Amino acid sequence: MLGILLGLMEIVRNITRRKLRSFLTISGIVIGVLALTTMGALAENFNALLNGGVLYFGSNVQVGPPDGQSASLLPLSKIDEIKQVEGVAAAFPSYGFQAKPGAVTTISFGVPDTIVAGDPAENDWAVLKATLAQGHQLDASATGQVVLGSTIDKEFNKKVGDTINLPIRPSDAKPDFVNHPFTVVGILNPTRTAPDTFAYLNIADGQMLLKDSLPFAFRDVDVTKITEGINVYGKPGTSISDLDKIADRINAEVTGVKATKTSVLVNSFKSGGAIFTSITTAAALLALVIGGLSVVNTMFMAVAERVREIGLKKAVGATTRHIMGEFLLEAIFIGVIGGLIGYGLGVLITVIANALTPPGQSTLFLVTVPLTVFALGFAAALGAVAGILPAWRAARLDPVTALRNQ
Amino acid sequence: MADIQLEALTKHYKRGGEVIRALDGVTLDIAKGEFVAVVGRSGSGKTTMLDLMGLLLRPTSGRLLIDGVDTTTLGGNQLAHMRALKVGFVFQEYNLLPSLNVLENVMLPLRYVRSGKDERMRAEDLLERVGLTDRIKHRPTELSGGQAQRVAIARSMVNQPSLILLDEPTGAVDTETAQQLVVLLRRLNQEDQVTIVVVTHDLDIAAETSRMIRLKDGKVVSDEPVAPSAVA
Repeated sequence: MLGILLGLMEIVRNITRRKLRSFLTISGIVIGVLALTTMGALAENFNALLNGGVLYFGSNVQVGPPDGQSASLLPLSKIDEIKQVEGVAAAFPSYGFQAKPGAVTTISFGVPDTIVAGDPAENDWAVLKATLAQGHQLDASATGQVVLGSTIDKEFNKKVGDTINLPIRPSDAKPDFVNHPFTVVGILNPTRTAPDTFAYLNIADGQMLLKDSLPFAFRDVDVTKITEGINVYGKPGTSISDLDKIADRINAEVTGVKATKTSVLVNSFKSGGAIFTSITTAAALLALVIGGLSVVNTMFMAVAERVREIGLKKAVGATTRHIMGEFLLEAIFIGVIGGLIGYGLGVLITVIANALTPPGQSTLFLVTVPLTVFALGFAAALGAVAGILPAWRAARLDPVTALRNQ
Repeated sequence: MADIQLEALTKHYKRGGEVIRALDGVTLDIAKGEFVAVVGRSGSGKTTMLDLMGLLLRPTSGRLLIDGVDTTTLGGNQLAHMRALKVGFVFQEYNLLPSLNVLENVMLPLRYVRSGKDERMRAEDLLERVGLTDRIKHRPTELSGGQAQRVAIARSMVNQPSLILLDEPTGAVDTETAQQLVVLLRRLNQEDQVTIVVVTHDLDIAAETSRMIRLKDGKVVSDEPVAPSAVA
């Protein structure tokens, strides 16, 4: 125990003895881990967003109009037909609208503000469950109610009981632009994915907005018999491959609709995340490897400077393993110090950047436990790998030659 | 029984095509508690003999027994363990670690071997015996040559070895300090009954020991007791 303590103290003093050199070496690791932390947090944030998509789309079958149909409209009666298909346990209509029509669409890591209308009963089937921070869910038969996601709520600064006009009136709205007042009955907790920017309405309100959105010539259509899409559920726990089979059966048995295979949607989300993660991680790892090379250089210099010390340690009983261990530990220590500082700075940057994000915009960074473990673990592992060769050289020194080294 | 036994101990080096007989079939016994000087000119083989006895070098042939154990049959880790437990070293250049303070330098050998709870007390006690209690927190760079060598002597004894080997321990200090160091060594030798072998080219130092072995061209040319000096 005492020996370990003495050894650690010696390592710390050896690092502080060459202050400038240690500072430069540790800086290399700091920059690498800083890059890994911030890039990783960006990727984690993006992955959380995509995982929401994987969870949501992995739990149901999306049914829309058949290929070639220009408008996304379906008769509600198709729901009853779909419910007859083997394996289907529930089917719900769904409506979606831009919450801010006319807004300039920019490339963003978030999902744009969206009005989603559906049956509150669908919540019981959804795998991705958003919990309420305030208020209550939509009353099943009520109209004029809205439940807001956390980001859209912050954007418009609404409390339960407040009124919000949806869709939001654009600044350059035409005289015939129509929107309706809705009372905020609930506000959701953040999910870091789609529901954060969603405003949830009941079916009747969705149909009202659908009517408003139809071209003038079609306004006579009875929107109570129309849906934009149908979300189909199997029994709870139905696998993606079984949902795919349900999609195939819907396509075979129900005319005038197109069911998209669950796996197609899920895989598109997953591949998007994988590419983004690869790009950001590769860039950060490159920075870390360069930092690692500076550790190799520093440790080789340390070995060259301490040849006599190594000889002495061998003379007083240190084995090859002891010497190897001491130098490896020193390299790992440099890695860990650089890792902790780099990680700390990275977290600081992500916290500040997230805090500076205007309300209503999705934040860009998410520091997760796996990212923390990876960043710090990688820094330590990098130190160890970088230390292996110098430590091996130190351990293999002949004590007689080393002791009389000038 | 002899504490250290050298049996036809030989160390040959190859330099180019030539074989250098650094030590050439030396046989001798050193009893427990002896204070031995090994003298000889530069190149006579005295440092090679010290390195062999300290288990830093492997002999080309012959046997070396320490406390009855034939060290020539031991592997690398066993030799390291034996060095940690049985042998203490003192070098001409002190070889103190600059990143450690005096007390930590003395305790360095304890890092590589398990040796009970009172390690720190033992180190402090040794520093008191070499007269450096007031310097235990100092760094090696803050010490004089004599003080640094006394730290090295305390370090060599911290594991209570059977044998202490000193390689020109007074080579880097002035005559007066050298004399003080020899007096200290003799006192430790008598108090602890530890075997001490000191390699030196300084005959005045050798004269303070109890036995003088003279080497020439890797062979023992004389091995005789030293008459007690006035200092003793």
